[in-house]
Amino acid sequence: MVMHKTLLIKRVVTGIIILHALGCCLNTTYAQQNMMAKAGKGNIQLLHPLEAVLLQLENTHKVKFNYNSNLLYGKTVSDAIYRKVTQEELQTALPQLLNPLGLTSELVYGNYYAIHSIAGEQKAEQQVTASGNITDAVTGMVLPGVTITVKGKTKGAVTDANGHFSIPQVAATDILVVNFMGYKPVEITVGGQTTINLALQPDVSGLNEVVVTALGIQKEKKSLGYAVQEVKGESMTQAREPNLVSSLTGRVAGLTIRSSTDLFRDAGISLRGQKPLMVIDGIPDQQADMWKVNPDDVESISVLKGPTASALYGSIGQYGAIMITTKRGKGKDLAVEFNSSTMFQPSFIRIPKVQSTYGDGYKGKYAYVDGSGGGTEGSGWIWGPKLDQPDPNTPSGYWETPQYNSPVDPNTNQRVPLPFISRGKDNVKNFFRTGIISTNNISVTKGSDKGNFRASASHIYQMGVVPNTDLNNSSFSLSGNYNLSDRLNVDARITYNRQYTDNYPEVGYGPGNYLYNLVLWTGADVDIRDLRNYWQPGQEGIQQKHYNQSWYNNPYFQAYELLNGYYKDNTFGSMALNYTFSKDFSAKFRTGVNSYGLTSNVKEPKSYVRYSDKSRGNFYVSSGNYIDIVTDLILRYEHTFSKDFAVHAELGGSNYYRNYRYQSSNTDGLSIPDFYNLSNSTNPVQGTNGLEERRTSSAYGFVDLEYLGAFYLTLTGRTDKISTLPVSNNTFFYPSVSGSILVSELVKLPHWFSYLKARGSWSKVSSGLLDSDNTYTYNYLPAYDRGIKWNGTPSLTYGGTLQNPDLKPRTSASWEAGLEMKWFGNRLGFDATYYRIQDYNNIVNINVSGTSGYTSRRENGNKYLRKGIEFVLTGTPIRNKNFSWDVLMNFSSYHRYLQAIFNNEAVLGKLKVGDRVDRIFASVYEKDPQGNIVYQSNGFPKDDPFTRYIGNDDPDWVYGVENTFRYKNFSLRFLVDGRIGGLIYSTTNQKMWWGGTHPGTVNQFRDDANAGQATYVGQGVVVTGGDIQYDGAGNIVGDSRKFAPNTKAVNYIDYMVNTSNAANTRYNYYSETFLKLREVNLTWQVPEKWVKGTFFRSASVALIGRNLLLFAKLPNVDPDTGEDNLQTPSMRSMGFNVNFKF
Amino acid sequence: MRKIFIAINLLLITGLVSCKKFEAFQTDPNKTTQASPDLLLTSIEIDAFNEVSLSAALASRQMAYTDGVNNNQYYGWQRSGYGDYDNLRQVVQMEIEAQRVNKPVYLALAKFFRAYFIMRLTLTFGDVPYSEALQGNEKNFTPGYDKQEDIFLKVLDQLKEANTALTDDAGTIQGDVVYKGTIKQWKQLINSFSLRVLISLSQKEGNTKLNIKQRFSEIVNNPAQYPLFTGNADNAQLVFYDLQDDRYPFFNSNDLQTAYYMEETFVNMLKGLKDPRLFRMAAKAPIHSGLADDDFNAYGGVMGSATIDENSTRVAAGQASKIDERYYHDPVNEASTAIGYAELQFILAEAVVRGWISGNASDYYKKGIQASHEFYKTAPDAITAYLAQPAVQLQAGQELKAIITQKYIACFVNTGWLPFYEQRRTGFPVFDVSGAGVLNNHQVPKRWMYPESEFDLNRENVTAAISRQYPSGDNINGQMWLLIKE
Repeated sequence: MVMHKTLLIKRVVTGIIILHALGCCLNTTYAQQNMMAKAGKGNIQLLHPLEAVLLQLENTHKVKFNYNSNLLYGKTVSDAIYRKVTQEELQTALPQLLNPLGLTSELVYGNYYAIHSIAGEQKAEQQVTASGNITDAVTGMVLPGVTITVKGKTKGAVTDANGHFSIPQVAATDILVVNFMGYKPVEITVGGQTTINLALQPDVSGLNEVVVTALGIQKEKKSLGYAVQEVKGESMTQAREPNLVSSLTGRVAGLTIRSSTDLFRDAGISLRGQKPLMVIDGIPDQQADMWKVNPDDVESISVLKGPTASALYGSIGQYGAIMITTKRGKGKDLAVEFNSSTMFQPSFIRIPKVQSTYGDGYKGKYAYVDGSGGGTEGSGWIWGPKLDQPDPNTPSGYWETPQYNSPVDPNTNQRVPLPFISRGKDNVKNFFRTGIISTNNISVTKGSDKGNFRASASHIYQMGVVPNTDLNNSSFSLSGNYNLSDRLNVDARITYNRQYTDNYPEVGYGPGNYLYNLVLWTGADVDIRDLRNYWQPGQEGIQQKHYNQSWYNNPYFQAYELLNGYYKDNTFGSMALNYTFSKDFSAKFRTGVNSYGLTSNVKEPKSYVRYSDKSRGNFYVSSGNYIDIVTDLILRYEHTFSKDFAVHAELGGSNYYRNYRYQSSNTDGLSIPDFYNLSNSTNPVQGTNGLEERRTSSAYGFVDLEYLGAFYLTLTGRTDKISTLPVSNNTFFYPSVSGSILVSELVKLPHWFSYLKARGSWSKVSSGLLDSDNTYTYNYLPAYDRGIKWNGTPSLTYGGTLQNPDLKPRTSASWEAGLEMKWFGNRLGFDATYYRIQDYNNIVNINVSGTSGYTSRRENGNKYLRKGIEFVLTGTPIRNKNFSWDVLMNFSSYHRYLQAIFNNEAVLGKLKVGDRVDRIFASVYEKDPQGNIVYQSNGFPKDDPFTRYIGNDDPDWVYGVENTFRYKNFSLRFLVDGRIGGLIYSTTNQKMWWGGTHPGTVNQFRDDANAGQATYVGQGVVVTGGDIQYDGAGNIVGDSRKFAPNTKAVNYIDYMVNTSNAANTRYNYYSETFLKLREVNLTWQVPEKWVKGTFFRSASVALIGRNLLLFAKLPNVDPDTGEDNLQTPSMRSMGFNVNFKF
Repeated sequence: MRKIFIAINLLLITGLVSCKKFEAFQTDPNKTTQASPDLLLTSIEIDAFNEVSLSAALASRQMAYTDGVNNNQYYGWQRSGYGDYDNLRQVVQMEIEAQRVNKPVYLALAKFFRAYFIMRLTLTFGDVPYSEALQGNEKNFTPGYDKQEDIFLKVLDQLKEANTALTDDAGTIQGDVVYKGTIKQWKQLINSFSLRVLISLSQKEGNTKLNIKQRFSEIVNNPAQYPLFTGNADNAQLVFYDLQDDRYPFFNSNDLQTAYYMEETFVNMLKGLKDPRLFRMAAKAPIHSGLADDDFNAYGGVMGSATIDENSTRVAAGQASKIDERYYHDPVNEASTAIGYAELQFILAEAVVRGWISGNASDYYKKGIQASHEFYKTAPDAITAYLAQPAVQLQAGQELKAIITQKYIACFVNTGWLPFYEQRRTGFPVFDVSGAGVLNNHQVPKRWMYPESEFDLNRENVTAAISRQYPSGDNINGQMWLLIKE
């Protein structure tokens, strides 16, 4: 460690020297530029920002000014006044400086001055006509179309083609506000002047844009050597997603969110292909509960994309970070904000479309006996007879057959046949209800010179589309900050969040899924409404009523009797003390905590059908208590040596501790039906519990160097000691370096080329985690697993992974380079990033031959390369007084490659060095050399004994486009996003082909099959002689096969049941390409004049919609989730939002 | 101000003190790192003796599946897996722990289990790694393949050693859910199993390395040294309980009650022999539900070799019997028999017929039948009547057929793949391949292809093993050494 520190210092010193050398060469350019601004033509005024003047006065007079920086924003001082006040005594200088700007000062105590605005001190004055020319301070060119308004009045003007303006009747105390896109706004007091010529400084957004970086440190975006993208909180609080993370979809290049359509399921999130760290106000939340932060409490989210960006977080930041900054109190006035949005989910944008031509049954036959295999109905296929077939011989006029709801004839004890008609065509509509997402938030803020606070309460209620399902999410948040003394500031936040539901739906393919029971495995002969009373008469609590009792659950029974409860209490917060030793030195002590208590339970009623058997009733209950605490002590040094050189350095130490205790118990059968208590277990209660602890101790530091306002360099270093590795290898160091050059500050570019920044970074970040953060903490230690207890005799088993006692941390070495450009002021911007991340020493399970006694060994090995590009394009095609159009586009592409294999093996499974790792190998059919499928003598396709490559999993491109239109008080925002390329395996489609519900199965072959005829001939060939031989790798080494076209006809139903139509559907892999209209948001800001005089400060109303349209290649399923395991149909959400500020 | 500094210092100090040292995280608090060997024995026994298998029943023409083209039933299978090496890992671990606590009795049991699991593997594939296998701890991840002949030799030696090592003073066996630690019964099992291994080598009578005849008679003629099962009570069987994880594998199974039916040739075989075990194995066919339970006409089946189209039509017509409902309704049902007294009697009967030992083949044969009927709870007088039937008697020249057929019936949905392997060895009973559903050119396969993962992970050794055994490559019709007469 000592050695590392020395090394770091050496590097810093070297860095400074290099920077100086560079600076010398480029200094001349910069000087020339300054000269030019000064040598402007005519009586151009050189303007000094007021804030800078005040800072200078603070230094000269050793005083401290306290002010709200909003008050000073845009205010400038002329060169003449500047010279005057800097040479005078403070007491005389201040009024001269401040009064013309409508400000005044007051000595609070000691050397502390407070600056306020002069209110109501208006004097009637002589009025003049002010006129002048407006030019670009850099190029000297005239600027037409610049808006000049008089502050607080309705007067104003726009410069003409020559950059000239004229405003009649202005008073000396009037303040002109000059606003022009792409330039810094200027406010100037008329002061009796009649000619006011102004040179505007280009304001390149990004120059003073501040973003939150690692450890919560705010930095100017221009100084960063890596890609960061920020999303403002307000864009997430109108058209609501139930969880915060889903709101980021389509907004950040390189960030892929795979939102789930299921109620209360986490969205899949990957940043440059890996799961990033979530950080709330500088405190990492490694559990990444994406439900616990209310979007209303979020000020902004910045996404730190690469390992360099998050290197300061050490191991846990290896894959980038999502930094959430919560809101703090702002301003002195009491402000109350109420935000409410209500969304309805009335319809689906994608739902499995099933056929309603044929009903339940098999091979065209259906007659209900007992629903458990007593007749053809028992096996549960939807390959039954055609529905709605007229039959003149029956009372109903349709073909009739005994059905589950047939009355039993008391004389014959037989079920009375009922017409077999498509009564259940609208089962989906009849079962699902309109979902609701309702969000209400109220927040109160107030501040003073000493500090501020914010309190917020919110509730999100979601009513699921499945009956009897819902989700509640309540948050209470309190944050504040206070100057305990002139040197000590405290900032603290605490949030209590409760997520609770008595029932949320089960997901995944299987009898626990509503869709499985309702759509995939119920023929249209069954009307779901007939199943609303779900108990078998006389067997209440014992046996559900359904048309099939072996395989499926009555969806109502499931909704009202199988209950998944979830109750989670999150408490999290932080406290930071900031002590200023001197202007340059300060120290920060910060501690943060994440904790939760979670209880979840499942009530499983008797007769509930599980995958392969029927429940005898069970109650499962589990609970966990989690806490993690991270404490940092950070020393900061910040010094501006001169206008051209500044240093910011911090040195910190940190300790992280996590403790997770959990237990779960379940009954083994229930003695009394419908009584869910562990004491009601028929057989001994089963249970288990655990404790997981983890600790990390770290030391870290960084140095930021700034030179000429154009060169920025950051060096970081961190050492972690982590408890999840063997002690011998548990300490590791990792550095990073990043820098940026603002070319536009150094070189004269065409005037339309406003901003050019080049950035680059390199880092090496290591981690001692075995896999993702949530893997079992002690997985690297050899131990026995609990085995089955046989009639009370316990047993143990030994796992198949051979552990390595010498595991080393895994490491990501990465570099990235980026280019940021802005043209025409701010009108067009372009940001491109290329990155390469090499993951090596990966802690991987290397598969080994099972004959060795192990199936895998845990080793450091395999080298992967992740690389990708990200583009962000911003533009304002139209901008005038009443109308504007802004566009934000992002595109990204990412792939992961295998670069080297453990032990220098030639192959890793099926992958070779250089292959993309997302190659999909699937079980396929044998083919002839022309690619025709080979059929067997029985008329079914023949399996290839080797799995084969059929495509790639990852999309080629992920994109999002956001358009914002503003017209007067209206704004319309819409966001489309999607992915291009990649394959997705569709369980839903496969099961539809298999089970007989796919509309594609409605054809003549099926009618033939129902009539007992085998007429379907699979397209392909049969082998008439010879054979095929493979080598060990599956390559064909000998092929003497002779072929003839397949002519063997099979029963169509048999064909589908056996192949799921794989031969014609590319084995049910589909393209993932889609485009989605993610969000539409039409907001009307209530005009100020209407609000004036009421106690509202502002109000807005919005019509909102999410998930409105989908264009996808994958049928029946929304590919957004990135996988298809039979999820809830994709819903359309529409509603409104109201926002009031008091 | 000072107050706050003191507070911060206190926080820091307590923060550091309350943290455990990093060394404290190097043991898993939720798991044991050392085990007594009995804890492993229990899980090994559960894996070894749970031999209830529907796949084998399909491949052996005892049952048929109608919800799809089942590769076991239609002989279209390709590969099998190396899961038994996972079981062998537990055996290795039991040895390690037995040595650690110095309980050699478990080492003797380990020898048996090594033999038991490797037999399952070699019967499936042919050559498999054995002498170099299970050395992952020594970083040998690509073991060579042992010739099947060498595996058999080693297995026979190991079983002999196990029997020798298990003396009355070998120590107590705990965690034994099969024999409750009775050493005598373990010896009976080991020796009975040795006889099974030897009889499976019946094609190798002429092999002088093996000397199977001599090995066989050595065991049978020294009951004091090599005790054998004396009745069903000695069966190596796993009894099921109505407890979580301990229930009959098909308890509440939906598949078994909706997609599996009795196979017609099997039903007809039992009908032909007027075998009352049919009433215990099968339910009545739906169309005959009005007939009495003990009426052979009430039972029917579908042809395992027929297409599913034909079969599902017959099922829809109610002609096929399902398995008896206790197989899916009774959580305890009957025990899974890995090797039992009945099988031993059939082995001995066969050995007499083959002239390996002296004795009365018919006596052994009838004892075997008797034991099987008792297992299926046939009434004693019905057993007597059954044994008296002319069709059941051993007939000269037909002994082997009768013995193996009775063994085949006794193995219904039990005893793993034994009925299939016995058919492979002897050709009895003839498995019907006449139907249009049968794949593989209407042949019954002889083996399984090696797992695909082995070609990725141990290619050199597996390809060498293939080329020395199977001239036409790794396919399911290859004749393994065991089946080649010498």
